[in-house]
Amino acid sequence: MHLLEVDNLTKRFGGLTAVNNVSFHVDEGEIVGIIGPNGAGKTTLFNLISGFIKPDSGIVKFKGEDITGLSPHKIVNKGIARTFQVVRPFRHLPVIANVMVALKSPRGTKNIEWLKTMERKAADILEDVGLSEVMLEPAENVSHGDLKRLEIAKALATEPDLLLLDEPFGGLNPLEVNYLTKSIIRMHLDEPTRGILIVEHKLHALMKIVKRVIVLHQGEKIAEGTPEEIAKNQKVIEVYMGKAI
Amino acid sequence: MAISYLRRAYSSFAAHVFDIPPRLMAVLFFLILLLLPTCGLSSYYMWILIYANIIAIFALSWDLLVGRTGLISLGHALFFGIGGYSTALLFRHYGLPLWITIPVAVLLGALAGMIIGFPCLRVKGPYLALVTMAFPLIVSNIIKWSPLNPVFKGEIGIRASPFFPFLPIRQQRIAEYYLTLLLLFISAVIIYKIANSKTGIVFISILDDEVAAKACGINVTKYKIMSFIISSMFASLAGSIQAHFLKNANPSMFSLTLSFVPIIVTFLGGIGSIYGAIVGTYIYYILDKYVLIYLLPVLLRNFNLALPRGFEHAKLIIFTSIVLIFIIRWPRGIARYVTDKLQDLEEARDLDERGPRIWKRYKKKEKS
Repeated sequence: MHLLEVDNLTKRFGGLTAVNNVSFHVDEGEIVGIIGPNGAGKTTLFNLISGFIKPDSGIVKFKGEDITGLSPHKIVNKGIARTFQVVRPFRHLPVIANVMVALKSPRGTKNIEWLKTMERKAADILEDVGLSEVMLEPAENVSHGDLKRLEIAKALATEPDLLLLDEPFGGLNPLEVNYLTKSIIRMHLDEPTRGILIVEHKLHALMKIVKRVIVLHQGEKIAEGTPEEIAKNQKVIEVYMGKAI
Repeated sequence: MAISYLRRAYSSFAAHVFDIPPRLMAVLFFLILLLLPTCGLSSYYMWILIYANIIAIFALSWDLLVGRTGLISLGHALFFGIGGYSTALLFRHYGLPLWITIPVAVLLGALAGMIIGFPCLRVKGPYLALVTMAFPLIVSNIIKWSPLNPVFKGEIGIRASPFFPFLPIRQQRIAEYYLTLLLLFISAVIIYKIANSKTGIVFISILDDEVAAKACGINVTKYKIMSFIISSMFASLAGSIQAHFLKNANPSMFSLTLSFVPIIVTFLGGIGSIYGAIVGTYIYYILDKYVLIYLLPVLLRNFNLALPRGFEHAKLIIFTSIVLIFIIRWPRGIARYVTDKLQDLEEARDLDERGPRIWKRYKKKEKS
């Protein structure tokens, strides 16, 4: 049984088919990347999995259970957490309280060990992603790179079995990309059974982390394989570079 | 020369005033309120203050819903009216004493909040504001409907029992003042505790970004309904107290003007700050019932002038323009302006007052 199974997922927006018959799976402890040019339907695919958009057809199965069309908060409490491409912090709250919102969800509360306060747990999570210095700052005063990490901290607070990262490297400088790459690898080593699904444009950073890559183009899956296979795949090169004249 | 001296004097004065911690400020504020009746105020001024206490509870409840959860309600008078009418009906038909009528009115208010909350939460933002605005209009028209006159008595309204019928009128006012002040204090503490609890954090997260709150696994609908229920409970409490205080519940309790009062006062005081609603209410009622009704005519009489007839109806224009100025110039309100000054002076308190105080507690723990 796969951790996440996506079967023939289709979503149309009017005449545009954003996601067309996409099927793939993620196993326990696997890091999978999704790449594709702009408008390939990567974020729509994420929204479909996490329940923010209802699919027109197709099934999403999580741990063998059909979760298609469930509301987003229910899916989070089943164990799929996501981050957003554009950071969505709670601006009026300090960074630590941002994480505490996620800890206040049923799954987040359940996973707090006995005799441990919510504040302590939130501080521990922030320490893991390297935000302990700005912990008490209001989120609106924090830099973009830190907000990206805060997104991940919020997702981690519910202790997901599957983590969906939507362009975690977007808008980061090379140094921050490097740091985040390391922390994603560390996250993976800390919790080896957790599956991670990453949508990313920065292929160089992505290829270092993932074991398997799925390529989307105009809503369709055009290739799947290890990073080396994908780099050599003629179709993928055509999509990214254009055809040879 | 003189101006620079004045400026320096002001800044040293400000440095002293703004050095007082906020908690002490709150205590001082309540102490002043406690001592007010001993100043020998006339019955009319006591009446204003009692009324301000009642409306402060109402404004607090609005602030929790709108300032903290971001659910814009333009028809909060609905819950106020439900509280008032249920109290009056219980008194008229069953002759129940006020220590039963008030809790029952609060419970009915909570029920109304739940019933109104579910359909209202299907819509968002300005649409929610419009939908909530419609409900009190509907209910007030039902109450005025002539076939129901035997029950609701139409425009005249229903009589309710006064708080202390056995006391002479002057003592009655003072007793009522302390009772309403006590209820205001209790409501303020409860709402403040809720707003700064972990549930309060979730409320603010919904205000900031509903989608992100959902992505954090928060059942947004549940928390919105919760906010609606808590808010309507306190609004209903205020309505119930007013019915006992004015010995009457009438359709004006559902009026649009009353729905706008909490908006005006919370914008004066500072939206989303809880204490701002209380400060704003007092400023509003002093302006409304003292400055405009008493002080301004007296001042004008010195210049052989008089206020035009029907000036009362123009008051709403004055207040809405004041609110407009506040939204543009000081969007964070008077009370916030003071606390912002406090925070500028003390770096340890440089965090947003709108957020809960949990991180401060955390900071203390870290130091020790």
